[in-house]
Amino acid sequence: MKIKNILSPAVVTTSLKSTTKEGVISELLDLLVSAKLVTDRDAVLSALMDRERKMSTGIQHGVAIPHGKTSAVKNLVACIGIKKDGVDFASLDGEPSRIFIMTLSPLDRVGPHVQFLAEVSMVIKTEEARERLLNAKTAQEVLAVFGI
Amino acid sequence: MAHEMMLLALQLGVILVVTKLNGWFFSRKLKQPKVLGELVAGMVVGPYVLGAIPLGSLGALFPPVVGTVPVSPELYGIATVGSILLLFSSGLETDLPTFLRFSGKASVVGLGGVIVSFLLGAGVTVLLHPAVHSIMDPEALFLGTICTATSIGITARILGETKKISSPEGVTILAAAVLDDVISIVLLSVVVGISAVELGGGSVAWGGIGAVALKAVGFWAICMVAGILVAPHLTKRMKGLESLGLVAELSFGIALLLAGLSEMAGLAMIIGAYITGLSFSQTDVSAEITERVKAVGEYFIPVFFAVMGMMVDFRAVGAVLGFGILFSVIAFAGKLIGCGFPALFVGFNLKGAFRIGAGMLPRGEVTLIVAGIGLASGAIGADMFGVAVMTMLLASVAAPPLLVQAFKGGSGYRKKLQEPDAGDVVTIELDFPSERAADFLRRTLADSFRSEGFFIRTIEGSVKSWQVRKEEMVFVMKRHGSKLEFTGKREHEAFVRLMLMESLVDFQEFVDSLKSMEQPEMMGAGLLMNMFAQK
Repeated sequence: MKIKNILSPAVVTTSLKSTTKEGVISELLDLLVSAKLVTDRDAVLSALMDRERKMSTGIQHGVAIPHGKTSAVKNLVACIGIKKDGVDFASLDGEPSRIFIMTLSPLDRVGPHVQFLAEVSMVIKTEEARERLLNAKTAQEVLAVFGI
Repeated sequence: MAHEMMLLALQLGVILVVTKLNGWFFSRKLKQPKVLGELVAGMVVGPYVLGAIPLGSLGALFPPVVGTVPVSPELYGIATVGSILLLFSSGLETDLPTFLRFSGKASVVGLGGVIVSFLLGAGVTVLLHPAVHSIMDPEALFLGTICTATSIGITARILGETKKISSPEGVTILAAAVLDDVISIVLLSVVVGISAVELGGGSVAWGGIGAVALKAVGFWAICMVAGILVAPHLTKRMKGLESLGLVAELSFGIALLLAGLSEMAGLAMIIGAYITGLSFSQTDVSAEITERVKAVGEYFIPVFFAVMGMMVDFRAVGAVLGFGILFSVIAFAGKLIGCGFPALFVGFNLKGAFRIGAGMLPRGEVTLIVAGIGLASGAIGADMFGVAVMTMLLASVAAPPLLVQAFKGGSGYRKKLQEPDAGDVVTIELDFPSERAADFLRRTLADSFRSEGFFIRTIEGSVKSWQVRKEEMVFVMKRHGSKLEFTGKREHEAFVRLMLMESLVDFQEFVDSLKSMEQPEMMGAGLLMNMFAQK
């Protein structure tokens, strides 16, 4: 799987406005809806929130990976959002989350989503890469971190 | 035609019954390799002993056939398929990185064996055969060549039975035996060329002989490289067909094709089959292919060994018994010294060198091919053909118990096998409240990996271990009591962690659903109540 086949400027924002978990997830979902990658917004939102209730997707170092499985997509779709001030995402290390990488995958398979996240995590493993993401002003600058 | 096919069915039926029962008897009661039982079964029911007895209107069950092979072409064909299956699965079971790592050592061992065996074989013929005066005499050349080829089939079978195929000695023996066959066949073409000239008069056409040799070596090298490079891409395509059975069947088809092409290039068919197996051994579906091929092999491989046993003409051997025994001993010594001695210089200790020497002892199909060509061309007589068969027989009978004995005990390799760099390997551990819980989770995790196209196979050993593999991503899952452990390369760590997390989330969902289940004891009571319901 290639990250560049999944991500494009239309699904990247550097200015998330919400200050709550549900708000951030809704905003990210709107990106996918505007890019016409998702149709049934409400069902997808509930799938994503359902997943958050089972186990928070806020991991370490300000990175969160909200994701869900839904019949509303046929292939893996993903989007990226940045919020410099951070949001309380109930993350593992207790730090506020700033970099959000959200994926939606079809119901029957988790592999593509795991593969995609594994590839993304290789890129943002370093402090330097995460700093570049936080300082990005445009979608293009964000994608540049992933070599796109 | 109908009669031949009926006879073939009867012959195969008898062969399967006697080889299977005798194989069982040898392995269970005599503690010997099954292959020996199969060879002996073949000798006893074959055309030179019981098989020649007429059975009423049917006639003999195994009527002796005139020519180099004393059984019918149909039966020999089935035996050939057996040998291809055997070498294909031996290739599949070989660990390719170890094979490549030991191929340099194997070349030294193989070459040493060929040179020493050839010189000893040809030398003893010159010394003891009254009609042979020079090492360039066709008879001396043929008997020298007869000494060189190793029967990779018998050795592979024993290494497989004792699970030693991927040990340093195992891979060295197999790689050296493959090389030996290649060199022997090249040597055969040279010997045939020289003999033809000496028997018919004229000068030796070195150009033509060189071309034949070059073709054989070239084919071998090209197939090895191409096979190793192409197989992973090919299996990736074949997996798209979504049937593992089909992948195994197609890969065996390729083994047959390469076996045929290998014969066309002047090499033995088994070399093509082995190279195909070796190429597929590194793919993620190798265990699935092996399992299926072995199941079929169980039916065909005994036919191959029985037919090998059937080739032994006890009368021809009787006439040259003294020379035959001496020649066999020399042929043994040639391999033990020729292969064992160089092994000492490439990292093996005395035990390892002896194992390698013993592993190179069996003689088989190539010996018979060489002897058969010698007989057909008039270079050697029926007596020397008998000697060749006797050498093959004694080596094949003596080598299996020797090899089994030799492989007992510790490593025969001086250095420790190199472990992957510790910095590149990561271990993830998960602790569970009980062994049962750990095992339950292990199954759940295995199912999630399987549904993502991973292949899981059990690794033999003291702890419970499984190899989880998809293309180049490989890691090992182990269960120590109530702990699950995952070990793999650092580059795959993120993927494994995320997969584990997803499976745990699924598991959480399952636990929640269990909690909401009606009380199980009520369900159980309901089941029992209905057992004794009236009417």
